[in-house]
Amino acid sequence: MFVTEPYLELRTGPGRGYPVTQVVGRGESVEILKRRTDWLKVRTERGIEGWAAQRDMVKTLLADGTLLSIDLGDRAGFTSHRWEAGGMVGDFDGANLVSGYLAFSLNDHLKIDLSPSQFLGVTSNAAPADRSGYTLDIGLNHVFVPEWRFSPFVTLGGGLFNVNRDPQNPQAVDLHDQSAYYGAGFRFYLTRRFFVRGEYKNRVVFTSRNDNEELEEWKVGLAFFF
Amino acid sequence: MESRTRLFLLTLAAATTVLPGCASFRWPWQDAPPPAVEPASTDSDNAPPPRVIEPEVERRKIKVAKIDQENIEVGGFYGVMSVDDFGSNPVYGATLTYHVTEDFFFRAEAGQTKLGLTSFEILNPGSDPLNLGTDRRLTYYGLSVGYNFLPGEVFLGRNLAMNSAFYVLGGVGSTKFADDERFTLNFGGGYRILPTDWLAVSIEVQDRVYESDIFGKNELVNNLEAYLGVTVFF
Repeated sequence: MFVTEPYLELRTGPGRGYPVTQVVGRGESVEILKRRTDWLKVRTERGIEGWAAQRDMVKTLLADGTLLSIDLGDRAGFTSHRWEAGGMVGDFDGANLVSGYLAFSLNDHLKIDLSPSQFLGVTSNAAPADRSGYTLDIGLNHVFVPEWRFSPFVTLGGGLFNVNRDPQNPQAVDLHDQSAYYGAGFRFYLTRRFFVRGEYKNRVVFTSRNDNEELEEWKVGLAFFF
Repeated sequence: MESRTRLFLLTLAAATTVLPGCASFRWPWQDAPPPAVEPASTDSDNAPPPRVIEPEVERRKIKVAKIDQENIEVGGFYGVMSVDDFGSNPVYGATLTYHVTEDFFFRAEAGQTKLGLTSFEILNPGSDPLNLGTDRRLTYYGLSVGYNFLPGEVFLGRNLAMNSAFYVLGGVGSTKFADDERFTLNFGGGYRILPTDWLAVSIEVQDRVYESDIFGKNELVNNLEAYLGVTVFF
């Protein structure tokens, strides 16, 4: 990479709080070693290593005269990215819910969602709302207008539904079931790589009893894309 | 009217002086074959003017190597955890951190400790009021968001400087013991030193808060832990 600005500052660490110890002059070249968050570790012609800010490095040129292109993690990245992940909290039919998710984008609109969640009863009574257990869902997620800052989506999928054995109700047989869900939610871009995600799911658990069980869950949390 | 005729006369004068010159200049070349660059411009009238020099240098195609991303931090920790009414005991676990920006990170962590004896069990040797049996494990996990602050360098001696930062974090998760699993909030802070770019050593203190009715009445439980962690970036 060739420096075209008057100089390029190199710091001792990948952060703005670390001191600048080197500068690389215009016309000199640096070699990119690795990247951490928004910083690039580079080596100068003289073999000195340091961290340069990504926003400074996008002004450097490749040997063929083109600009270095790096994913900056901005609003455009919110519209179009490969992966996203996050954590959420909420309510699972009366119980507390802790949930994480990882999504892979097939395109800007359609994503495959993998979401493990755990629901935790409020007390240790045997009431249905006080069950604890976990769900593991895989589903499809359709974002209507991905370029909007506030963009709604719908979701559809299925997965496993497991209830922990309750010591006060050891005869319960329906501990491992399958379930399917539909739902809707929203994504709201905050800044950099972060956004808020909230969603509602209506789940049908295919029990071994005569009637299926219908459960409602909602959750909201923080997510990021990469 | 007058200017138009003047323009016409000027053009005529220019033509009479320049054109014969051109003819005499081209005269020795007339029998020579046309230059090789000409055919490109014969395709259409709008084609760009012929290039005098055709560059025959092959453009260098530069393939940019993928930049090695080092945003993930994985490691383990070992320390002490004080569990409400069960005493302080060694705790160990693992963490997985993803650094999203230089300021913020997401972290998943899981840990385990062994419960000590409650005061009731100490006063009544051999009793087991909570029916714990031999399984006196407490396990927990948490999903947290963290924020790095006061980044800088620490100097160890004259020649060694290491990067360091303080951080705070908070999140949600669960705590499991005595056949009971509870929704848990965790928050805390720590200090991280990086001896090299890829290795981090941290000291951290966290509080894990949940509601429990294990002793009959519902109460808020605070479990404090302090530990030393070693993590590797890759």
